[in-house]
Amino acid sequence: MTEMLWNLFYILVFPGLLFCVIAGLLLAGIDRKVVARMQRRIGPPIAQPLYDFLKLLGKETIIPRTASRTMFLGAPLIGFVSLIVTALFIPIFGFTAFGGVADLVVIIYLLTIPAVSIIMGGAASGSPYAGVGLSREMVAIMSYELPLVLVILAISRKAGGVFGIGGLTFSMTQIAEYQAQFGPMITKWSMIPAAVAMLLVIPCEVGNHPFDIAEAETEICEGTLVEYSGPPLAVYKLSHAIKMFIMSALFSALFLGGAGTGMLAVDALIFLLECVAVTIISMSLPHAVTARLKVEQVFKFFWTFVAGLAALSVVLVWFGL
Amino acid sequence: MFPYLKEAVAQVFGKPSTENFPAVIPEAPDGYRGRIIYHPDLCINCGLCMRVCAPQAMTKTVVPVEDGEQITMSFNMGSCTFCQLCADFCSRHAIEMSKDYMMVVEDEKDLLVSGTFIKKKPVPKPKAPAPAAKAAEETTETCAES
Amino acid sequence: MIKKLIENSTAKSPWLYHINTGSCNGCDIELVAVLTPRYDAERFGFKLTGTPRHADIVVVSGPVTLQSKDKLIRVLAQVPEPKVVVSLGSCPRSCNVFKGSYSVAGPLDKYTHVDVSVAGCTPKPEAIVAGLAKAAEILKKKREGMS
Repeated sequence: MTEMLWNLFYILVFPGLLFCVIAGLLLAGIDRKVVARMQRRIGPPIAQPLYDFLKLLGKETIIPRTASRTMFLGAPLIGFVSLIVTALFIPIFGFTAFGGVADLVVIIYLLTIPAVSIIMGGAASGSPYAGVGLSREMVAIMSYELPLVLVILAISRKAGGVFGIGGLTFSMTQIAEYQAQFGPMITKWSMIPAAVAMLLVIPCEVGNHPFDIAEAETEICEGTLVEYSGPPLAVYKLSHAIKMFIMSALFSALFLGGAGTGMLAVDALIFLLECVAVTIISMSLPHAVTARLKVEQVFKFFWTFVAGLAALSVVLVWFGL
Repeated sequence: MFPYLKEAVAQVFGKPSTENFPAVIPEAPDGYRGRIIYHPDLCINCGLCMRVCAPQAMTKTVVPVEDGEQITMSFNMGSCTFCQLCADFCSRHAIEMSKDYMMVVEDEKDLLVSGTFIKKKPVPKPKAPAPAAKAAEETTETCAES
Repeated sequence: MIKKLIENSTAKSPWLYHINTGSCNGCDIELVAVLTPRYDAERFGFKLTGTPRHADIVVVSGPVTLQSKDKLIRVLAQVPEPKVVVSLGSCPRSCNVFKGSYSVAGPLDKYTHVDVSVAGCTPKPEAIVAGLAKAAEILKKKREGMS
């Protein structure tokens, strides 16, 4: 009984729903503020994403005549829930809510679902702009999946060389344990190319500049979100904010892990600070200084430069460096 | 890309170039053409401003009163192009362009700049040869005046 | 309490949709200038959206031409409630110099209720920011009146 209550607490409060929402909105607010400061502006208040979310809750929901109603309203929730589930599997230093049941492969699958939910929602809305947007979203998924998998392969080999059977481990718990014993992954110089590749994957996965080809508001009117209004749009915007948190948390867990202090509250705070740093480096800085790339440029960039960096890391790790 | 990165990081700790707008309302530069100021006491009702106005932003209403005509000139700022032609053509300098640019209204009537003056009819010369009917009208008016 | 929160945040995050109904591009440039670092309307939460479905404030610039009339009516119908219509410059208010042209279908208030009009040809960016701030207040009032 107590175990069940604890599980409920995990899902709804600490690494789950409430923590994710607060951390996501906070990160999104910090991102907007930092981008504004980098562009010599004052920028919106930190709580601006929260205002946007609440405002959208109070707006009217319009369902287009050509839309498929169930899918149109259901798609945002699917993406949102899968993001919350992902948060349960990411270790915060030594602590994981459900460490034993899922590993990195599951996380890769779960990370694809929000993008798929955007594609589903766009396809259900029946707008030509959404059609263009969803095809671009597919290109984006194809672009970042290969480098992401290569990065994870490099990490699993690095940690697996010590623990795993057959030299590979995909368990998040074991990767966290490895980092607790041998120091953060980023201090190993063979992992630095993989870390850079991961930092470049994060903005594409989240859908930020300069890789926001799917939501290009100046070209294709926000792409797949073109027909959304009111609460479903609010859920999408919240998902976007949470995705920022999840991706930076994944980076922190994979590369910036460690022994931690032992106290969960302090650990969570340090983890959040790491997430803020990752967000600023990987999302705010490219947002402030770059313009949007073309569709084929994104694909080429990820399959040559970023995948090359990740592959270099894999090769280095395989030779035991 | 790297010079931009350097600039971006430097600006995080720099001063933003945003104007503190709602607290400090800056004055418009010299020569800015804003809301029209109309001096009805200088106007002579020549009508030149209406003839040069491209968007026809002015309306003149004439109400006959006892000692002449009550003339109301009304400048619609919601229709004006701020070209300053009316002010240039006004021989009596009755129209002036101010620097006031804050023309934010909910009701269109707030955009009207208007002024009223009474133009007295010239007192007819007693010996003027005039048609009979008009002369009669004028005499009644002068009688009423006196 | 949630209702109160929603009402307060409605005034703090108004998103703009800009529609050009035959404007000379002067007002459009000034509206973009509002979002630049010098005036930075984003600090009040203003954001330019790409689609009318996300918008709270519709900014119309230009006299309504015959070609753009149907599109304007359609865009205004696509904006979810509560919405506020702002006319930018003299043109939507009264057609300005295009008054009486064969290709102009009359001022904006023939087709919709104009909540705030910012006069000027073109308005200064400060005046636009003030007008948008007024529109955000009206937006909050409309939201309060909704439920």
